[in-house]
Amino acid sequence: METKVAVGAQPSGMRIGAQPSGMRIGAQPSGMRIGAQPSGMRIGAQPSGMRIGALPSGMRIGAQPSGMRIGAQPSGMRIGAQPSGMRRSWRMKRIYLDHAATTPVRPEVVEAMLPYLRERWGNPSSLHADGSTALEGVERARGHVASLLGAQPDEIIFTGSGTEADNRALIGVSAAYAEKGRHIITSMIEHHAILDTAKFLERMGARVTYLPVDSAGRVDPASVREAMTEDTVLVSIMHANNEVGTVQPIDEIGAICRERGVLFHTDAVQTAGHLPINVREAHIDLLSLSAHKLYGPKGVGALFVRKGRRLPSFVHGGGQERGRRASTENVPGIVGLGEAARLAAGEMESESAHNAALRDRLIAGLLDRVSEVRLTGDPVRRLPNNASLCVAGAEGESLLLNLDLEGISVSSGSACASGSLEPSHVLLAMGIPADVARGSLRVTVGRDTTPEEISRFLEVCPTVVDRLRKMAPLSPA
Amino acid sequence: MRGTACPLNWVKTKLQLEEMSAGAVLEVLVDDGSPARNVPRSVCMEGHLLLETSVVSDGVRLLIEKR
Repeated sequence: METKVAVGAQPSGMRIGAQPSGMRIGAQPSGMRIGAQPSGMRIGAQPSGMRIGALPSGMRIGAQPSGMRIGAQPSGMRIGAQPSGMRRSWRMKRIYLDHAATTPVRPEVVEAMLPYLRERWGNPSSLHADGSTALEGVERARGHVASLLGAQPDEIIFTGSGTEADNRALIGVSAAYAEKGRHIITSMIEHHAILDTAKFLERMGARVTYLPVDSAGRVDPASVREAMTEDTVLVSIMHANNEVGTVQPIDEIGAICRERGVLFHTDAVQTAGHLPINVREAHIDLLSLSAHKLYGPKGVGALFVRKGRRLPSFVHGGGQERGRRASTENVPGIVGLGEAARLAAGEMESESAHNAALRDRLIAGLLDRVSEVRLTGDPVRRLPNNASLCVAGAEGESLLLNLDLEGISVSSGSACASGSLEPSHVLLAMGIPADVARGSLRVTVGRDTTPEEISRFLEVCPTVVDRLRKMAPLSPA
Repeated sequence: MRGTACPLNWVKTKLQLEEMSAGAVLEVLVDDGSPARNVPRSVCMEGHLLLETSVVSDGVRLLIEKR
């Protein structure tokens, strides 16, 4: 450090000149926010000082007026005086790598939603201006979601979730086309929202074929064609798998369905807003999506239903959503979904490139630093943000919990499977033995993920794996 | 907007106008009756210019200039 450092407890924040990046440090009795730290920061408001872990020079910053020593931070740390309310320290130092489970709500989305909580809270079905103001928000959002998919606005039904959309697609088509047939084709690796609904329909008398997948988790379009009968009314194949990231050949599958006069539904919960989708080109008849997977709020999803396809009312009552889903609309949620969709449409390419680069570095880094680990899912046709692996000799849940203690959020198997000891049905369907499948780890990056966070993950993960392997020295399968 | 009830007919018209640049003209067909009264009123309240209203075979035709 050079000259003229003014150090003291100043409410307005101090600038310390010798930092090439212009660090500002304010002495806050209640704590500080340090921006460029990927993880492992402990910030205490104790007079005894704070340790900031990721600094090579071992900085100690104490909230005393008696002086601070700051090491050179090339990455431009800002320690700001936050009068408006501090972010809690646990959020500051955590690394979030579980975007397949959920994504943070973008600030622009929050901004778009707020007026519909504060002022425009009318019921969209009311005829007065309070109602039509809210209706406007809903219809504008409908347009954005439709654009994202290459659909018409009146082909979009807002639902409470992607799961609800999945349920409705299967149950609705099954009911509406019952006189045509009772056979449904799906795959073994669908999300439980599809599989459990299919099992429910089987109990109601439908016949369901669960198509196998190859070792990369891919559905062969030929197997769809082979499974079709005169009795088939619906094929439902997810656009990309949430656990292993494999992207399915939905264009080909859609074409086969169109040729045979069978409806095609795809669960696009992991892909809407991330991979380009054109429902007309891909011959998609129904599609499910979920707001909280594309940086929107939880509690809202959408179902695309191509014009002309029959779908009976699923929630009965007030006739909202063209009579197909009654209940007063979740206006703020829908507005949030619309804004998230609008933003995603413009950023898909850059987001994919950003995510894929981080994902690839993460995968290469892990394969390099950890022995007996394998990538699961298609190595090429996979979601740009998905790094799913199986680690021999370590248990997925333990990996997850240990990484959690290091401030890193990841997943083992799917979010739904966390907490259960069963190996993932997806991995088993791909032919991965159960004991290997138990060591599964799913790391999914997002638009806010930084290279520093990946570096931190690559530092921490091998150590965690080693520790777990030493603790439970079973020979890896 | 034929067959579309109030206020959805106005809401959709308004959203369409939002996408247009000032000075552009939008042609809207609405049903006779309440829509033909309500939509023009909303157009003017919103500050756009109603250039023309004419009765056609299947409803009422409105020409709206975006302001």
